[in-house]
Amino acid sequence: MAAPITLHLEFGGGAELLFEGVKDHQVTLPSQSQPWDMKQLLVWIRANMLKERPELFVQGDTVRPGILVLINDADWELMGELTYELQDRDTVVFISTLHGG
Amino acid sequence: MCQVDEEYSEQLEKRTVPSVSQNCVKCKDGSAVLIIRAGDAFCRCCFKEYFVHKFRAMLGKNRVIFPGEKVLLAVSGGPASSAMLSQVQEGLSRDAPKKLRFIPGILHIDEGGACGQSLEERERSTAQLEAIFRATGYPFHTVPLEQVFELPSSVLEAAASAPQRPDGSYKAAVDQFLQSAKARGSSSPGEGGPDGDPAVREAQVRLSRLETRDAPNGPARLGLGRSEDLGRLLSSVRTLTAKEDMLQTLRHHLMVHTARTHGYSKVMMGDSCSRLAVKLLSNIAQGRGATLATDTGFSDPRYGDVVIIRPMRDYSSKEIAFYNKMFGVPSVFVPGLDTKASDKASIPLLTESFVTKLQTDFPPPSAPSTGPVRSYARSTLKQKKPLPSTPRWCLRGCLRSGSLGRPGRPSAGGAAPRGPAGRGLWSRRGHLLLLPHVSLGCGAPAPPDLRSLLCYSCRLTVKDMSAVDTLPPYIVSEAEHRSHRLRMKQEISEFLLDEEEEDDDDEEAA
Amino acid sequence: LPQIQSVRRIRDLQWHQRGTNGLKVRVNRVQQRPKTGHSLCKECFFWAFEEEVHQTIISARLFSPGETVGIGASGGKDSTVLAHVMKVLNERYNYGLTLLLLSVDEGITGYRDDSLETVKRNQQQYELPLTIVSYEELYGWTMDAIVKQVGLKNNCTFCGVFRRQALDRGAMMLNVDKICTGHNADDVAETVLMNVLRGDIARLRRCTAISTASEGEGVVPRCKPLKYAYEKEIVLYAYFKKLDYFSTECVYSPNAYRGHARAFLKDLEAVRPSAIIDVIHSGENLSVREGVRMPVQGSCSRCGYISSQALCKACVLLEGLNRGLPRLGIGKHHRLHGKILAKEPLTKEEERKLKAVDF
Repeated sequence: MAAPITLHLEFGGGAELLFEGVKDHQVTLPSQSQPWDMKQLLVWIRANMLKERPELFVQGDTVRPGILVLINDADWELMGELTYELQDRDTVVFISTLHGG
Repeated sequence: MCQVDEEYSEQLEKRTVPSVSQNCVKCKDGSAVLIIRAGDAFCRCCFKEYFVHKFRAMLGKNRVIFPGEKVLLAVSGGPASSAMLSQVQEGLSRDAPKKLRFIPGILHIDEGGACGQSLEERERSTAQLEAIFRATGYPFHTVPLEQVFELPSSVLEAAASAPQRPDGSYKAAVDQFLQSAKARGSSSPGEGGPDGDPAVREAQVRLSRLETRDAPNGPARLGLGRSEDLGRLLSSVRTLTAKEDMLQTLRHHLMVHTARTHGYSKVMMGDSCSRLAVKLLSNIAQGRGATLATDTGFSDPRYGDVVIIRPMRDYSSKEIAFYNKMFGVPSVFVPGLDTKASDKASIPLLTESFVTKLQTDFPPPSAPSTGPVRSYARSTLKQKKPLPSTPRWCLRGCLRSGSLGRPGRPSAGGAAPRGPAGRGLWSRRGHLLLLPHVSLGCGAPAPPDLRSLLCYSCRLTVKDMSAVDTLPPYIVSEAEHRSHRLRMKQEISEFLLDEEEEDDDDEEAA
Repeated sequence: LPQIQSVRRIRDLQWHQRGTNGLKVRVNRVQQRPKTGHSLCKECFFWAFEEEVHQTIISARLFSPGETVGIGASGGKDSTVLAHVMKVLNERYNYGLTLLLLSVDEGITGYRDDSLETVKRNQQQYELPLTIVSYEELYGWTMDAIVKQVGLKNNCTFCGVFRRQALDRGAMMLNVDKICTGHNADDVAETVLMNVLRGDIARLRRCTAISTASEGEGVVPRCKPLKYAYEKEIVLYAYFKKLDYFSTECVYSPNAYRGHARAFLKDLEAVRPSAIIDVIHSGENLSVREGVRMPVQGSCSRCGYISSQALCKACVLLEGLNRGLPRLGIGKHHRLHGKILAKEPLTKEEERKLKAVDF
């Protein structure tokens, strides 16, 4: 049983508009049997945080193309993307590079 | 249809599982923080160097900005134009030999009125931006979009461009600049600190005394009733595609006008490689093939005396987003017309989602030139705008080119076939358009017949309007002027024997 | 194009008015035309469609009286409509052309064999002579055999290159002056997009031309009379005319990349119905800076067909197949052309690279 973890989530480049315009979020993910990974985080965000138009943020099981993801200030492509196993107090940043956010 | 000669498929393999490589490809020992293209992982330090170098290399390679020239930076507040501003600061503050030597000013066009923002929201983002601008020490101009309703129609005339400078002149000008700077008594180049160059500093002091706002604050600054005019204009445009196109046109006019009135001969825009790829493709979809090169190339000389340049065209939006995030470049998110719109709401949005999906499904592999975005950039580089020769004009400010509608011109090498095709149809086209057939159209009141004067794609935009009299006065009056001139020309041409020749080649010269 | 559109608009109105004015009794509106937004009854739609093709042919001067024209017939909707309309117009306007059907049998079981049956029926329905040239007799390979060797991924390269040459060879055999093909507006627009995506400036410049002049020995001029006809209208025309056509996709044509471009084009059309013609217009107006290097056309030193290399693409592909090195023609291996011509063996390393059948 993995303990609950606290994350710092940040949304930018217009992506924050889907989260009531709030850029910074401290969230606590509940404890669950397996460790949390990015894929599950996206599911959790969709269910618990997204206020409107979820398709503008997640598509399929990943982020919408054009949204960049940084885990602890590094490109998530270096961290295994969806398979990255989240640690307590990680910072995850989502930046939209799309026009109009 | 099946795929004739499609040899690229092997280079465009579906993406593979992300590789987890941890070291920088450049310095080999820094730990990587981002992947620029598939396989190229950079550490923070090398990435910064790469990013900064690319900007000055782009300006250095193209040699269009002469020392001491006044350059207006168009900053929307978005990531790309903010990164551009930071690069200019970086380049001007260097004491290295690669220092930039032009005189910057900043232009921000406040488009909130077109995008349904309240006055308070507009004030708030403008204030945020102005704080950023003030920190640079450069003079800045904040212009509300509503001012397009006060533009003179001269903005639509391409002014005579500065005389072509001979090839070797760039280097000569730089040398001369350095010498005269020395003569004015700067003993060593690095001495003066960040703005060490006395000539630049002097000019900057002079510029900063200029009024930085073009109109007084508050609602009054929008001009009486102008925000209603803008509202009427935009609500008369029925589709988001045409709205975006119209907005872009107006924005360009305002930029050029501001540059002219304040004596700037260059305007820098922050279009990134990703942005230009989308623009290229969506312009094709909107029939803007003839002006692709000027719309997406490094320099856009269509306005003559004011040249638009795009120094960010080699950066992907990913690089820019990472740079801004890592090095604390401030930017302000200002919602636009298309904010939170769906993928299929307009041609540019559809194109953007197509391009980003393509990038994800077929990422540029090890050879950087095969990725879709790079390909666009590459094809643009090779195109050139044909010389204008007929009287159609484009709201974007270019004259409609004479070769419109003709099949591709044969190359110097003669490889391109030119069949007996096109000729009959296309050479008569100009005349046909002068016939009053347009009255058969949707019945939109259009006196003077604006549509028949416009280039193909501006006509598409105007076709999506319910009333063209909502257009800013400078466009309407210029249209009157031009149609009048055209009528005169037509009357005169009845007395001329060789009208075919005249009409095809000499209209605009008159 | 503006001209074409205006002609269209006028004609649509005229013909429809004729219909509603009582010259024709019952008017059933069958279609809203994507180009003009006008609704037309069936008869007026046929007429408008045929007139447009006629206008295209006349204004681009595609044919001269007395010419023999080969219609590239695959049995699909485009070429069936083309054959039908060409026959109608040739009679209605006395073009003075001798028309014949020219088909290529690629040797694809379950696809081409069936569609060729359709062409054979067309031959009787339209009373046009038909000639079929096959890959097997020209190259010694059917597509089925090629796919067996190269797999599904790059087979379209082989098929496309071989078909182009096969049509030319067939046309030469029949002494045809021109070939016309059923490429429609959607195809042309899609090709513009594809060439932009690939950064293929040489093809981008050629692909919107309505006709090609003879590029040299053994190459017959080609034209696309349906260049401005929307696929949608072609399908409707075939449907309402009850034309006999074959509508199955080629069993070997999965290509994600072109699929993307096609889907994008359809989406564009949904946002703005004139988008297809707008893309073509853009393509026609691209101009290329002078001094951009373009491949110089020469001829293949083996078969004499036009080629910018020592060997034409078809010969290289064939050589690859015959040597069991299918990769030879995929990608760029110009350096090896000399060796192939001299019938020299390749080195082990070269062979290893070209054999890799991971595709």
